[in-house]
Amino acid sequence: MKKGQKLMTAEKKFSLWLAAAAFMHALVLFLLLYLQIWDSGRHVKPKIISVSLISLPGSGGAGVHSESPGANSPPPAVEPAVKDAVPEKLQPVAPKPVPVEPPRPKVVDKPVDINKALERLKQKVAEKTPPLTKQATSSNLNKALADLQQKVKNNGRQAGTGSGEGRPGSYGGRSSVGKGSGSGGTADPYKAEIAGIIQQNWSFSNPLLKKNSYGMSVYVRINILADGTIRQIVFDKRAPSEYLNNSVKKALEKSSPLPALPKEAGSRDVWIGFVFTPEGIE
Amino acid sequence: MLDSRLGMFGLLSDAGPVVLMVLSLLLLFSIISWAIIAFKFGYLRKSLRESKAFLDYFFEVYNVDKAFTESENFRNGSLPRVFRSAYIEYRALGDKGDIRHARARIARAVKREVNAENKRLSTLVPFLATVGNTAPFIGLFGTVWGIMNSFHNIGLTQSASLAAVAPGISEALIATAAGLAAAIPAVIAYNYFTQQISIIERDLEEFSPEFVAAFINEP
Repeated sequence: MKKGQKLMTAEKKFSLWLAAAAFMHALVLFLLLYLQIWDSGRHVKPKIISVSLISLPGSGGAGVHSESPGANSPPPAVEPAVKDAVPEKLQPVAPKPVPVEPPRPKVVDKPVDINKALERLKQKVAEKTPPLTKQATSSNLNKALADLQQKVKNNGRQAGTGSGEGRPGSYGGRSSVGKGSGSGGTADPYKAEIAGIIQQNWSFSNPLLKKNSYGMSVYVRINILADGTIRQIVFDKRAPSEYLNNSVKKALEKSSPLPALPKEAGSRDVWIGFVFTPEGIE
Repeated sequence: MLDSRLGMFGLLSDAGPVVLMVLSLLLLFSIISWAIIAFKFGYLRKSLRESKAFLDYFFEVYNVDKAFTESENFRNGSLPRVFRSAYIEYRALGDKGDIRHARARIARAVKREVNAENKRLSTLVPFLATVGNTAPFIGLFGTVWGIMNSFHNIGLTQSASLAAVAPGISEALIATAAGLAAAIPAVIAYNYFTQQISIIERDLEEFSPEFVAAFINEP
């Protein structure tokens, strides 16, 4: 009888410890979870990584758009975009040459004259530096733009519709879309419409890829005829996953023919670009 | 976004059923192991402490009646328990003149109690050895299964980039980590308890004849 009681007491004690151990495990797991969330909050990932360079060539999608309706407008649409963009980047560079100025011993005697001289020098430096720095810093940008322009021109000529109208200057990336105003107005609703159609026809659902979407983007240009038929699909940048690339291609093929081009676009064909990521179409 | 913030737990949300089952099993093993560790640690420590205190008192008075009265205060000690069983047997003896018979009966009672005490001391401890031995392998099984699935997914996506390969393997390795986390404390505790139990068993073996002699030589 006594032994039975002792056993019961031991069992009770053990169950108590079992409950305590379960509680401790739950607590430890909760603490780990909390620590991970807290730690991830501390180390904020730099957002620059995925945005800066990759978006430059691919932004043609948005760019092509904006340009399309401006068929009769003068071609130099590219130059202002580049000119606008370059001085922004040069701002931190421009002041550098100023400290190069040779210090003069007369500073103490005639400060007013020297200030004037300094201003003149600054003006001279400012006049001289822009063309030089343009060449130095915007070489990559210009190259990328020139390549894209060349591609579009070639495509336009091959199709026989071109004759210099399909100005590819608006390929200059998203930053230039805002500045290149007027031209993109009519294409946007149309692009949104066809993006929706393509999205519907795009059957892509891979959780593994969706989770590791870094670098998983496909830059595609499509050449649309006036009746909405997709004449050509050009992959500007392929994703590392062939699965994603194929799904994009299939979606585009499936979406053809698209709705007819808006009247503003005229009877010529149009190039429109899209960026496909596991999260959707951008 | 939430997944990346949750880290390890975010990865687990995408784990397959086999990996989750393995992790649940390891969690259960770990909970039971820690319960045994806590229970046994208190039990053995109390037993050692009370045995030592009782022995000190026993050799100080060397009187079985007084020692029995005092042993009531040491109910968790192994040696006091053995002594009590011997005392009960001694008191149950009808004819105390036949020394050989009395010695044999007391010795038998002591041996029986020593055996029972040994069993009591080592209860649940083998489970720690089982966890220590099997948990890493169970974890490894989860990892192998996870990596297998991961490679299957790589085949489906047709991409061998680090971004596609790494998360699956990382997720799978959690199972091995969990196995080790369950096994390491179990092995440490098992070794410690085995050593403590062997100390108590040695004491029981050494002092059992002393108890029998104390009853026989009692005036």
